[in-house]
Amino acid sequence: MATPTNPFIQPDGKKPTCMEMLQLIIDNQVTEEQRLYFSQHMGHCLPCYKKYNVDMAIKELLQSKCCGGNCPDDIVAEIKLKINSMTA
Amino acid sequence: MEWEEAPRQHYTENEKQLIFNNEFMPHIHSMYNFGYRLTLDRDDAKDLVQDTYLKAYRFIESFQKGTNAKAWLFRILKNSFINDYRKKSKEPNKVDYQEVETYYNSEEVDRLITPDLRVESLKDMMGDEISNALNSLDVDFRTVIILCDLEDFKYEEMAKILDIPIGTVRSRLHRARNLLKEKLKSYAKTMGYNNA
Repeated sequence: MATPTNPFIQPDGKKPTCMEMLQLIIDNQVTEEQRLYFSQHMGHCLPCYKKYNVDMAIKELLQSKCCGGNCPDDIVAEIKLKINSMTA
Repeated sequence: MEWEEAPRQHYTENEKQLIFNNEFMPHIHSMYNFGYRLTLDRDDAKDLVQDTYLKAYRFIESFQKGTNAKAWLFRILKNSFINDYRKKSKEPNKVDYQEVETYYNSEEVDRLITPDLRVESLKDMMGDEISNALNSLDVDFRTVIILCDLEDFKYEEMAKILDIPIGTVRSRLHRARNLLKEKLKSYAKTMGYNNA
């Protein structure tokens, strides 16, 4: 089976390192094609597999614990009141 | 307050209200969280959000209807934080980014400073560990993590919000993630994971 072309390769032909690919994945800056390529790559690259799992676990923790709840209603009301007084 | 080179818009009062209510207000919860994560104080976050929305309304003709309102608002809030809030509070330590970028270019150093955390130890962090670890980072590192992981902005958007090049966004994020891991590893050790 032919090896798929690495979609992370830059237009200038520069091949990315594992670290560079992993960062783009964790930072969610990739196309679906790149995501698929990387998940296949992890199947035979243990360091990437391990780092990916740790980094994603941290990202999920951040998303579940640091989104901080809703903005208090009084701020919304206060903003609207001030805007109305600016336009009156 | 200009966002790129967008020409000044002309809106009627009714259009201004529509833009404000339909394009700006839906982001208020994200804005409040951003304000809180920057100031680490709920009252200061409240003031920052209010100030941002009033500025957004005042300068609404610099905003082009239907474009990226969220990024535009985040940029105003970040600038208000730097210009108004940060001046009033104790100036945080400045990070030497030149040094950071040098670090980033060395994979050997990178391997040494990246703690070997385990997923199992992270799964036991059900309390405030992650929030405390995030809050303990220097505000510039904290900011890129918030923009990327909590708000899912693209590199280009973050570069515009922060007025820095995309390369700096990437290196700052990379360094911020390593610092966060170092913090989490020390928490994991106190939880009994000696080989966290």
